[in-house]
Amino acid sequence: MEKNKIETGLSSDAKKEPRRVVFVTKKASAKVVGEPGPQLMTYPHLLIREAIAFQVLVIAMVLVALLWDAPLEQLANPLLTPNPAKAPWYFLGLQELLHFFPPFVAGILIPTLVVIALVVIPYFNVNVEGEAIWSRPAQNLRIVLVTVFLLLAFLAVFHAWTIFLPTALVAALLLFSYTARAGENGLLQALARKPVSWWVMTWFIAVALCLTVVGTFFRGPGWSWVWPWRTHVG
Amino acid sequence: MATSFQSVLQNLRETKVWKSIFRRGPANTNRTRSLAVFGNLFLHWLPVKVREKSLRVRASYYLGSISFLLFIVLFVTGILLMFYYHPATPHAYRDMKDLRFVVSNGVFLRNLHRLAAHLMVFAVFWHMFHVFYRGGYKPPHEFNWVIGVVLLLITLFLSYTGYLLPWDQLAFWAVTVGTNIISAMPFVGDKIRFLLLGGNIVGENALLRFYVLHVVILPLVAFLLIGIHFWRVQKDGGLTVKPKDDDGKE
Amino acid sequence: MSDAKNPYISQASRSAQAGDGITRRDFLNEITLGALGIAGLGSVAVTYQYFSPNVLFEPSTTFRAGNPDLYPVHSVTFLQDQLVYIVRMPEGFYAVSAVCTHLGCVTQWKPDADMIACPCHGSKFKGDGTKIEGPAPRPLPHFSISLTADGELLVDKLQNIKPAQVLKV
Repeated sequence: MEKNKIETGLSSDAKKEPRRVVFVTKKASAKVVGEPGPQLMTYPHLLIREAIAFQVLVIAMVLVALLWDAPLEQLANPLLTPNPAKAPWYFLGLQELLHFFPPFVAGILIPTLVVIALVVIPYFNVNVEGEAIWSRPAQNLRIVLVTVFLLLAFLAVFHAWTIFLPTALVAALLLFSYTARAGENGLLQALARKPVSWWVMTWFIAVALCLTVVGTFFRGPGWSWVWPWRTHVG
Repeated sequence: MATSFQSVLQNLRETKVWKSIFRRGPANTNRTRSLAVFGNLFLHWLPVKVREKSLRVRASYYLGSISFLLFIVLFVTGILLMFYYHPATPHAYRDMKDLRFVVSNGVFLRNLHRLAAHLMVFAVFWHMFHVFYRGGYKPPHEFNWVIGVVLLLITLFLSYTGYLLPWDQLAFWAVTVGTNIISAMPFVGDKIRFLLLGGNIVGENALLRFYVLHVVILPLVAFLLIGIHFWRVQKDGGLTVKPKDDDGKE
Repeated sequence: MSDAKNPYISQASRSAQAGDGITRRDFLNEITLGALGIAGLGSVAVTYQYFSPNVLFEPSTTFRAGNPDLYPVHSVTFLQDQLVYIVRMPEGFYAVSAVCTHLGCVTQWKPDADMIACPCHGSKFKGDGTKIEGPAPRPLPHFSISLTADGELLVDKLQNIKPAQVLKV
């Protein structure tokens, strides 16, 4: 058996065996974007603000919890469906969507596509500089008009008015910003400088909001259309 | 009186027991303030220093913090509610009535739990949209955004599993419709529904499975991911503020 | 250090890597990973089996609906405990499911409008289950209905039959 050539043993010479405390590699170090600016100690400056935020939040919630009771309907009865049978508010948008499209599309396909779209956002580094949507007016206007027209036509065919309305509103805002893009600085000019990703997300939020609001307030028994002021009369 | 209390506190701080627990000393120098964060198990998730601009309300509206704080509230109220809840089919509804009419402060706890739940869904959505509009997903923060999306889904799933637990009409039919949507998935839909419900119908097995998901599995996963989410922010240099964000305007 | 300078890689290893042989180290690594992979897959399969219940305590899906004479001709009777409509027409009996084919809500028979309506998303069906309007993708299914030896109606909810099939009594 060969003699082991590696020496082992304890060494008391600190210089000969320096201890590595931190090893910073290129990819692991933090990449700071922008000016760091003046800094403050976390303790106490951040922690006190978090503590205040927590207390404000808790006090507000305690007050509401003391005054308004959570609902509790009758015991679950598998033989009787209440009318209307509504999901919690964050799913009412989905339930409204179910009214227009088959369960697979509204319940599986669209939510999956939305999640995939969300996850992919940071990797879709197409427009890193945040180039404005109207930076190339002629080409972009044509693309925008065609996309909007196709989308609205598709929604109209499926009678999906709850999605049609916010889409039309956002599209109108977008086109107004086009006409006003060269004017003096105001809201429309600021909007004209926003990139495509901003407009797509804004459209998504507008549609989700509209679906949720309609599902919450404007749908009654049998998912029929009701005017909210009429349902609370009497 | 105040000064004698102060001196009592001072003496307490000099004791061996105190010094063995709080080893850094009073936080009156930047070094001890650093140690207060760096050397603490719960706080070392935060950076030792923060940018002054990121402390402003308008920088983040504290939405991330609020989401986490709401989660803590839900965790605590949830555990307290567990003491009076049986996840079994006739009992569950009776326990809800108990909590409301019989248990001291039961109605308050349940209200708080439900309120925090709805607020948390709202807060995480708002947090996501705000991070998007601030560009907080751009490199090197891409994976943290993905973790955030997963956390959003976990929040929604936590809310959904919790929704069944009162076992009232609202709960039962919301879950019936939801699980029927799941079976619309091609090939695996029916199998997933069968596993989720522990059977073919929304019954006692479903209630128990949703309870375990809601109380153990999802909170554990959420805690792990929240930990990674915070850690990543810290490692990527803390909350950054957009270069143009001088006065809170763009 | 690079493989070229590493004195612990033998000549045999080098020639194995250069040719189409495989070093002992890589072979053992692959075998180990393969074994772990099989163990992992096995764990997943066993866990899936664990989560999938083998015995279910759910109500029986076959039931007796009583004597045919209980049901007048041209009637739709809602049996709420079973979530089935017993429909008697001049041509015979149908057993129509009361569970909406859209998302599983329980429908209701509206005699004044002569139709079955679902409260969840507004689907409407005729008495024999055919769809009038709404997001439901299919008509209400018909269940197998037969007569027992002692002359009672027997419905089996696990057996779907074609809508044209009718039980003549």
